[in-house]
Amino acid sequence: MSAPAGDPDANPVRVLVADDDADIRDLVEFKLTQAGYAVEAVPDGVSAWEAFSANPPQLAVLDVMMPGLSGIDVLRKIRESDFAGVPVLLLSAKSRDSDVDTGFAVGADDYVIKPFSPRELLHRVNGMLARAR
Amino acid sequence: MSWDAFIEGLRSFVVWVMDVSSVPILVYFVLINTSLLTLIVLAYLEFRAQQRRRASALSWQGAGLAPGVSLLVPAYNEEAGIVTAVKSFLTLRYPRHEVVVIDDGSTDATFARLEEAFDLVPVPRELPREIPVRARVLGVFVPRDGRTRLVVVRKENSGKTEALNLGINAASEPLVAMLDGDSILEPDGLLHVTRPFADDPTRMVATGGAIRPVNGSRVLSGRIVRVEMPQTWLPRIQLVEYLRAFLLGRTGWSRLGGLILISGAFGLFRRDVVVEVGGLDPGTIGEDFELVMRIHKRLRDEGRDYRIEFVPEPVSWTEVPVTARVLRNQRRRWQRGLWETLWAYRAMLFRPRYGRIGWVALPYYWLFELIAPLLELLGIIIVPLGLLLGVVDVPFAVLFLVLAYGYAVLVTLAAMVVDEWAFHKHDRWRAIWQTVASSVLENFGYRQATVWWRLEGMWASLRRKKHVWGVMTRTGFDEDPA
Amino acid sequence: MIVGAALLLGATIVVLGACLLLILGVIAVRARRHSRSKRDEMLLSPLRPPLITVASGEDDDGSAAEELTWATGVSRTVLDRNIADLLTKIRGAPAEQLVRVLEVHGAVDAAVGDLSSRSSVKRARGAQLLGLARAAHTVPLLVDALRDESVEVRNSAAYALGLIGDASAAGPILAAIGVPDRGLPAATAAEALQSMGVGISEVLREGLKDENARTRMVAAHLSGERSFTRGLPELRHLLAHDPDVTVRETCAVAIGRLGRGEDADVLARHTGATEPLPLRRACVTAIGELGEPGAVPTLAGLLGDPDPRLAELAAGALITMGAEGRDALAGHEDDAAVRSARLVADLQKSAA
Repeated sequence: MSAPAGDPDANPVRVLVADDDADIRDLVEFKLTQAGYAVEAVPDGVSAWEAFSANPPQLAVLDVMMPGLSGIDVLRKIRESDFAGVPVLLLSAKSRDSDVDTGFAVGADDYVIKPFSPRELLHRVNGMLARAR
Repeated sequence: MSWDAFIEGLRSFVVWVMDVSSVPILVYFVLINTSLLTLIVLAYLEFRAQQRRRASALSWQGAGLAPGVSLLVPAYNEEAGIVTAVKSFLTLRYPRHEVVVIDDGSTDATFARLEEAFDLVPVPRELPREIPVRARVLGVFVPRDGRTRLVVVRKENSGKTEALNLGINAASEPLVAMLDGDSILEPDGLLHVTRPFADDPTRMVATGGAIRPVNGSRVLSGRIVRVEMPQTWLPRIQLVEYLRAFLLGRTGWSRLGGLILISGAFGLFRRDVVVEVGGLDPGTIGEDFELVMRIHKRLRDEGRDYRIEFVPEPVSWTEVPVTARVLRNQRRRWQRGLWETLWAYRAMLFRPRYGRIGWVALPYYWLFELIAPLLELLGIIIVPLGLLLGVVDVPFAVLFLVLAYGYAVLVTLAAMVVDEWAFHKHDRWRAIWQTVASSVLENFGYRQATVWWRLEGMWASLRRKKHVWGVMTRTGFDEDPA
Repeated sequence: MIVGAALLLGATIVVLGACLLLILGVIAVRARRHSRSKRDEMLLSPLRPPLITVASGEDDDGSAAEELTWATGVSRTVLDRNIADLLTKIRGAPAEQLVRVLEVHGAVDAAVGDLSSRSSVKRARGAQLLGLARAAHTVPLLVDALRDESVEVRNSAAYALGLIGDASAAGPILAAIGVPDRGLPAATAAEALQSMGVGISEVLREGLKDENARTRMVAAHLSGERSFTRGLPELRHLLAHDPDVTVRETCAVAIGRLGRGEDADVLARHTGATEPLPLRRACVTAIGELGEPGAVPTLAGLLGDPDPRLAELAAGALITMGAEGRDALAGHEDDAAVRSARLVADLQKSAA
């Protein structure tokens, strides 16, 4: 698997993962951790926003469909915050083009549609960080 | 006539009233609660079917079959919350929706806040006049970014009903959702409430969404992030009432095919049908109920095959009154709207053409929603009087009361079990005890007070008999702006 | 009186007893949910690391997948349910590996058996699993399930057929929509059909002639979405003659997507004042979508329409139709409809 860009001795790149679905959360956390990222995984939108504002990560992966604050709501808050520049990847259910549209309108940088391939997700995360540099 | 003779006369009168009325009242109590219980069982069956659908892996997308929605948000002096509300409506999960804010002549900074937040620019647009609106339109505005699907219409103040009618005119999508500016919507609430339209696109004409009290819950950025019980008993009791009457009652009616009430706090309608029947009637008090009745009547008269459904998934959360004064106003208005609309559509009773509406739903509302307060009032007066005069066997009376109210509690608890099983919205154990306590407490004071307020509402409308009992129930304005 | 009192007492006891039972019921419902999820979690916990390894595509040597196949008894049932759930969320090589685990467990064969279970929950779950496992050989069984008495089974069967994507099921799916009292919900049908190949275009064309309005609606909608021009003659016919106005509007939208030059005239015929307003508006929008210069006079004629929205839609369509369209606006520059359409177009342009 490809390793994240950057010096391995430096602090690992921190990624925030928010998904109410434990399977996806664990899976994404596992995949990204294997690739050398420091992952913080949270189960809902409010925790995501709290985690984000307590310690802004270098990248966030947000599920769109979460109870309470949706991924789009969290994205909206991130874009209105002092750390509006953090790249955000949205995870959205199959052929929900609308979520993707709304997501881009609110300022998402990329998206992955479920059912997704974990490998593709990793490539996208790598790509987004490379572009952000 | 001596005092003793008067007491004696009164005593025999009370005995007579009790003799005559005890059996009918008991029968009535059993009937009303049994019918509620039946509705709850029907709701349970409906939930069970939906539960399976939901438990299954099917997340629905509808392949673009879900029609676009215009969310109509009437706003009168809502500077504090309007921007957050509009942002939360704009970011609902839905393929195609726009937000239409109708600023009903606000005297505060409602418009200025919107203008600033969305960088609004005036459009020289003339709005369609499909539904006649008397108030003058002061301007139409859209965001400068050319992308955000928001339209703000400013008009002279003329009340919420006209604001909604103007909103329908300004709406450009096939479905219109009527909601309150302070409603809090679930992020995927629209997906739920439009599903019946996507499943049955040629027949569905209206759906109602479930409404729950928001009091006590934690709200962040216009979304419910933690569901909690209200802090005080008055809203807690209303929560129990909402559960029983709105959530389960309406699900039951929907399954029966006799849904005649869609709450104004969240209803979704085909725009063309609303236009066809002439929009909301600004002359009525219960304009939401009246609209649904008008749709039923028109479509049945024309022999059309159509559907109106209730969606039990939580869609919208609303603030319920926390003081008796506000609650009193609300209940008086509701009862008055109910009474006037039922009266206006009395010709639909027991006509074969109106099917279950005429044979089941309307008679039910007449019998139980209208007459209930009168009978309960009789009980409230006669029983203490009888006790005072010593003509009532005290243990017998107590037992009678325990039975009557016990059955009412039973119905509420049944609703609670079904809700816990289907939705389990409250995850603290404390919520269960508070709900149980509310269902008991409801019978001591709350119930009697609402009976009285409902009678006040009916009285208010009877007093204006001449104005009211016209063809379409015109009463003029005395509606709360909110 | 004595009998009355006894009866009253009895009834009261029954009612209060029932209240107590219901309270216990709430507690039981909640406790059962808690204990179930606890139990499932416990049974699954030793299997979770290999499951996540496989699902994330990190099981290079196949040892984690191997480990999953060893599960037995209740933990196997729980694991299989979890895998089925995962299959709705991931795809690619990890998904194929998980399907193989299900096959080794015999879950696919069991699902075939479940299709004839008496419990509608089991039938529905069985159908879903067959779809998720892409069990193409079960298509005939799933087609039968489209007529199941329970709507969730019908939904599940259509969902599964959509996942398998075998175009031979398209006809039965479309036909299932109109079954009286046991119809397949239109949205599920549309979704399943959408994931099938171009092989369904003839089926959709036939569907446009169906006697059920919902079937025609789905067929018209998908013809437009997928740009199947084969159904154009039928779409034109329905636009003019369908008894259901919703179907007519859907046809207008579809023709706007895939129509040919001459369709501007077809649409223009339904912009007249005698047609229902929603249909007229849909037709004007569709003409704009076609962008056919021949339609300019029709649109120009609507600029002065009494309906301000229709006029604005016509103006908006003309603005997008190049010089010819813009010329047609001459003389109407001061109309509210034209100014408004211009402004909106400018805002959109500067945003893009």
